[in-house]
Amino acid sequence: MRPKELLMLREILKAMTYFRRFLILFICGITQIFFAVYLLLELFGFSLGLHISSSGYMFIPGILIFASSGLLTVSYYFGDTKTNNSLYDEYTAIRYYKLGAFGYALNGIGIFLLFSFQDWSNWSFQSANAMIYQIASFAWLIFGVLLVWFSLGDYKEYKNG
Amino acid sequence: MGKHHKNLLNNLAELRMAKGLTQQALSDSAEVSRKSINAIENGIYVPSTVLALKIAKTLGCSVENIFRLPK
Repeated sequence: MRPKELLMLREILKAMTYFRRFLILFICGITQIFFAVYLLLELFGFSLGLHISSSGYMFIPGILIFASSGLLTVSYYFGDTKTNNSLYDEYTAIRYYKLGAFGYALNGIGIFLLFSFQDWSNWSFQSANAMIYQIASFAWLIFGVLLVWFSLGDYKEYKNG
Repeated sequence: MGKHHKNLLNNLAELRMAKGLTQQALSDSAEVSRKSINAIENGIYVPSTVLALKIAKTLGCSVENIFRLPK
Protein backbone atom coordinates (compact mmCIF):
# COMPACT_ATOMS: atom_id res chain seq x y z
CA MET A 1 0.00 0.00 0.00
CA ARG A 2 1.34 3.46 -0.90
CA PRO A 3 1.93 6.10 1.77
CA LYS A 4 -0.92 8.23 0.36
CA GLU A 5 -3.36 5.34 0.77
CA LEU A 6 -2.05 4.67 4.26
CA LEU A 7 -2.65 8.30 5.18
CA MET A 8 -6.18 8.11 3.76
CA LEU A 9 -6.85 4.95 5.78
CA ARG A 10 -5.54 6.69 8.87
CA GLU A 11 -7.85 9.67 8.25
CA ILE A 12 -10.85 7.34 7.93
CA LEU A 13 -9.94 5.51 11.14
CA LYS A 14 -9.38 8.80 12.96
CA ALA A 15 -12.87 9.96 12.14
CA MET A 16 -14.73 7.50 14.36
CA THR A 17 -18.13 8.88 15.35
CA TYR A 18 -21.07 7.66 17.40
CA PHE A 19 -22.86 6.82 14.16
CA ARG A 20 -19.96 4.81 12.75
CA ARG A 21 -19.51 2.92 16.00
CA PHE A 22 -23.26 2.29 16.06
CA LEU A 23 -23.08 0.84 12.52
CA ILE A 24 -20.09 -1.38 13.31
CA LEU A 25 -21.57 -2.79 16.52
CA PHE A 26 -25.10 -3.04 15.14
CA ILE A 27 -23.93 -5.06 12.13
CA CYS A 28 -21.91 -7.36 14.44
CA GLY A 29 -24.87 -7.81 16.78
CA ILE A 30 -27.45 -8.42 14.05
CA THR A 31 -25.15 -10.93 12.33
CA GLN A 32 -24.71 -12.83 15.60
CA ILE A 33 -28.46 -12.81 16.21
CA PHE A 34 -29.12 -14.03 12.65
CA PHE A 35 -26.71 -16.95 12.95
CA ALA A 36 -27.93 -17.78 16.47
CA VAL A 37 -31.58 -17.85 15.40
CA TYR A 38 -30.71 -19.81 12.26
CA LEU A 39 -28.77 -22.41 14.29
CA LEU A 40 -31.39 -22.64 17.04
CA LEU A 41 -34.16 -23.17 14.48
CA GLU A 42 -32.07 -25.85 12.72
CA LEU A 43 -31.34 -27.59 16.02
CA PHE A 44 -35.03 -27.67 16.94
CA GLY A 45 -36.03 -28.95 13.51
CA PHE A 46 -37.38 -25.73 11.95
CA SER A 47 -35.09 -25.19 8.98
CA LEU A 48 -35.24 -21.82 7.24
CA GLY A 49 -34.14 -23.53 4.03
CA LEU A 50 -31.24 -21.13 3.49
CA HIS A 51 -28.77 -24.01 3.04
CA ILE A 52 -26.09 -22.34 5.15
CA SER A 53 -23.65 -25.10 5.86
CA SER A 54 -22.78 -25.06 9.54
CA SER A 55 -19.07 -25.40 9.00
CA GLY A 56 -18.92 -23.17 5.93
CA TYR A 57 -20.33 -19.90 7.26
CA MET A 58 -20.22 -20.08 11.04
CA PHE A 59 -16.91 -18.24 11.14
CA ILE A 60 -18.60 -15.04 9.92
CA PRO A 61 -19.74 -13.67 13.33
CA GLY A 62 -16.29 -14.36 14.80
CA ILE A 63 -14.48 -12.69 11.91
CA LEU A 64 -16.78 -9.67 12.18
CA ILE A 65 -16.14 -9.34 15.92
CA PHE A 66 -12.40 -9.71 15.37
CA ALA A 67 -12.38 -7.10 12.58
CA SER A 68 -14.61 -4.69 14.55
CA SER A 69 -12.45 -4.97 17.66
CA GLY A 70 -9.40 -4.23 15.53
CA LEU A 71 -11.09 -1.29 13.83
CA LEU A 72 -12.20 0.25 17.14
CA THR A 73 -8.77 -0.28 18.70
CA VAL A 74 -6.99 1.30 15.74
CA SER A 75 -9.46 4.19 15.68
CA TYR A 76 -8.71 4.80 19.36
CA TYR A 77 -4.94 4.92 18.79
CA PHE A 78 -5.23 7.13 15.69
CA GLY A 79 -8.11 9.21 17.03
CA ASP A 80 -7.70 12.73 18.36
CA THR A 81 -8.02 13.32 22.09
CA LYS A 82 -11.36 15.13 21.89
CA THR A 83 -13.01 12.30 19.96
CA ASN A 84 -11.54 9.67 22.25
CA ASN A 85 -12.65 11.59 25.36
CA SER A 86 -16.16 11.51 24.05
CA LEU A 87 -16.34 8.02 22.55
CA TYR A 88 -14.27 6.07 25.04
CA ASP A 89 -14.87 7.77 28.37
CA GLU A 90 -15.34 6.12 31.77
CA TYR A 91 -19.15 6.04 31.60
CA THR A 92 -19.02 4.23 28.24
CA ALA A 93 -16.45 1.80 29.65
CA ILE A 94 -18.63 1.05 32.68
CA ARG A 95 -21.69 0.62 30.47
CA TYR A 96 -19.78 -1.82 28.29
CA TYR A 97 -18.39 -3.64 31.32
CA LYS A 98 -21.85 -3.97 32.92
CA LEU A 99 -23.39 -5.32 29.72
CA GLY A 100 -20.45 -7.71 29.31
CA ALA A 101 -20.79 -8.96 32.88
CA PHE A 102 -24.54 -9.42 32.38
CA GLY A 103 -23.81 -11.37 29.18
CA TYR A 104 -21.29 -13.65 30.87
CA ALA A 105 -23.72 -14.29 33.73
CA LEU A 106 -26.52 -15.23 31.32
CA ASN A 107 -24.09 -17.34 29.34
CA GLY A 108 -23.05 -19.21 32.48
CA ILE A 109 -26.68 -19.97 33.33
CA GLY A 110 -27.33 -20.99 29.71
CA ILE A 111 -24.35 -23.35 29.55
CA PHE A 112 -25.41 -24.89 32.86
CA LEU A 113 -28.92 -25.49 31.45
CA LEU A 114 -27.55 -26.84 28.16
CA PHE A 115 -25.37 -29.29 30.06
CA SER A 116 -28.33 -30.27 32.25
CA PHE A 117 -30.69 -31.40 29.54
CA GLN A 118 -28.23 -33.46 27.47
CA ASP A 119 -28.89 -37.18 27.22
CA TRP A 120 -25.60 -38.37 28.69
CA SER A 121 -26.65 -42.06 28.60
CA ASN A 122 -26.71 -41.98 24.78
CA TRP A 123 -23.74 -39.70 24.30
CA SER A 124 -22.12 -39.68 20.86
CA PHE A 125 -19.97 -37.48 18.69
CA GLN A 126 -23.16 -36.26 17.03
CA SER A 127 -24.61 -35.18 20.40
CA ALA A 128 -21.31 -33.49 21.29
CA ASN A 129 -21.36 -31.66 17.97
CA ALA A 130 -24.96 -30.58 18.51
CA MET A 131 -24.10 -29.31 22.00
CA ILE A 132 -21.23 -27.22 20.64
CA TYR A 133 -23.68 -25.63 18.20
CA GLN A 134 -26.19 -25.07 21.01
CA ILE A 135 -23.55 -23.33 23.13
CA ALA A 136 -22.36 -21.23 20.17
CA SER A 137 -25.87 -20.19 19.19
CA PHE A 138 -26.79 -19.35 22.78
CA ALA A 139 -23.65 -17.23 23.24
CA TRP A 140 -24.22 -15.47 19.90
CA LEU A 141 -27.80 -14.75 20.80
CA ILE A 142 -26.92 -13.27 24.21
CA PHE A 143 -23.94 -11.21 23.03
CA GLY A 144 -25.65 -10.25 19.77
CA VAL A 145 -28.61 -8.80 21.67
CA LEU A 146 -26.27 -7.00 24.09
CA LEU A 147 -24.20 -5.58 21.23
CA VAL A 148 -27.34 -4.27 19.54
CA TRP A 149 -28.47 -2.84 22.89
CA PHE A 150 -25.12 -1.07 23.35
CA SER A 151 -25.13 0.18 19.75
CA LEU A 152 -28.59 1.70 20.19
CA GLY A 153 -27.12 3.90 22.95
CA ASP A 154 -24.65 5.20 20.36
CA TYR A 155 -27.47 5.77 17.89
CA LYS A 156 -29.44 7.77 20.48
CA GLU A 157 -26.33 9.85 21.17
CA TYR A 158 -25.87 10.41 17.43
CA LYS A 159 -29.49 11.55 17.07
CA ASN A 160 -29.72 13.68 20.23
CA GLY A 161 -26.11 14.53 21.07
CA MET B 1 -32.58 19.29 41.36
CA GLY B 2 -32.50 16.24 39.11
CA LYS B 3 -32.85 12.66 40.15
CA HIS B 4 -30.23 11.38 42.57
CA HIS B 5 -28.10 8.30 42.77
CA LYS B 6 -28.89 6.35 45.95
CA ASN B 7 -25.31 6.89 47.18
CA LEU B 8 -24.70 10.42 45.97
CA LEU B 9 -26.75 13.62 45.76
CA ASN B 10 -25.74 16.25 43.22
CA ASN B 11 -26.36 19.87 42.22
CA LEU B 12 -24.63 19.53 38.89
CA ALA B 13 -27.49 20.64 36.65
CA GLU B 14 -28.14 23.80 38.71
CA LEU B 15 -24.47 24.75 38.93
CA ARG B 16 -23.93 24.10 35.23
CA MET B 17 -26.93 26.22 34.23
CA ALA B 18 -25.88 28.97 36.64
CA LYS B 19 -22.58 29.10 34.76
CA GLY B 20 -24.47 29.24 31.47
CA LEU B 21 -22.94 26.03 30.20
CA THR B 22 -24.61 23.37 28.09
CA GLN B 23 -24.01 19.70 28.81
CA GLN B 24 -21.88 19.58 25.66
CA ALA B 25 -19.74 22.56 26.75
CA LEU B 26 -19.20 21.07 30.19
CA SER B 27 -18.36 17.66 28.74
CA ASP B 28 -15.83 19.18 26.31
CA SER B 29 -14.05 20.97 29.10
CA ALA B 30 -14.19 18.02 31.51
CA GLU B 31 -12.98 15.70 28.73
CA VAL B 32 -15.86 13.23 28.82
CA SER B 33 -18.91 12.45 26.72
CA ARG B 34 -22.09 14.52 26.97
CA LYS B 35 -23.82 11.27 27.94
CA SER B 36 -21.63 11.04 31.07
CA ILE B 37 -22.68 14.52 32.19
CA ASN B 38 -26.31 13.68 31.52
CA ALA B 39 -25.98 10.38 33.44
CA ILE B 40 -24.37 12.14 36.42
CA GLU B 41 -27.04 14.87 36.48
CA ASN B 42 -29.78 12.25 36.42
CA GLY B 43 -28.24 10.17 39.20
CA ILE B 44 -27.55 7.21 36.91
CA TYR B 45 -23.80 7.33 37.28
CA VAL B 46 -21.35 8.19 40.07
CA PRO B 47 -18.24 9.79 38.53
CA SER B 48 -14.65 8.87 39.34
CA THR B 49 -12.62 11.18 41.58
CA VAL B 50 -10.69 12.52 38.59
CA LEU B 51 -13.87 13.32 36.67
CA ALA B 52 -15.51 14.93 39.73
CA LEU B 53 -12.43 17.15 40.16
CA LYS B 54 -12.40 18.07 36.46
CA ILE B 55 -16.09 19.04 36.62
CA ALA B 56 -15.51 21.08 39.77
CA LYS B 57 -12.56 22.84 38.15
CA THR B 58 -14.64 23.72 35.09
CA LEU B 59 -17.48 25.05 37.25
CA GLY B 60 -15.07 26.94 39.51
CA CYS B 61 -16.25 25.37 42.73
CA SER B 62 -15.29 22.55 45.06
CA VAL B 63 -16.39 18.94 44.62
CA GLU B 64 -18.38 19.22 47.87
CA ASN B 65 -20.47 21.99 46.31
CA ILE B 66 -21.54 19.64 43.53
CA PHE B 67 -21.77 16.29 45.27
CA ARG B 68 -22.74 15.29 48.77
CA LEU B 69 -23.56 12.09 50.57
CA PRO B 70 -27.19 11.40 51.50
CA LYS B 71 -27.96 11.82 55.21
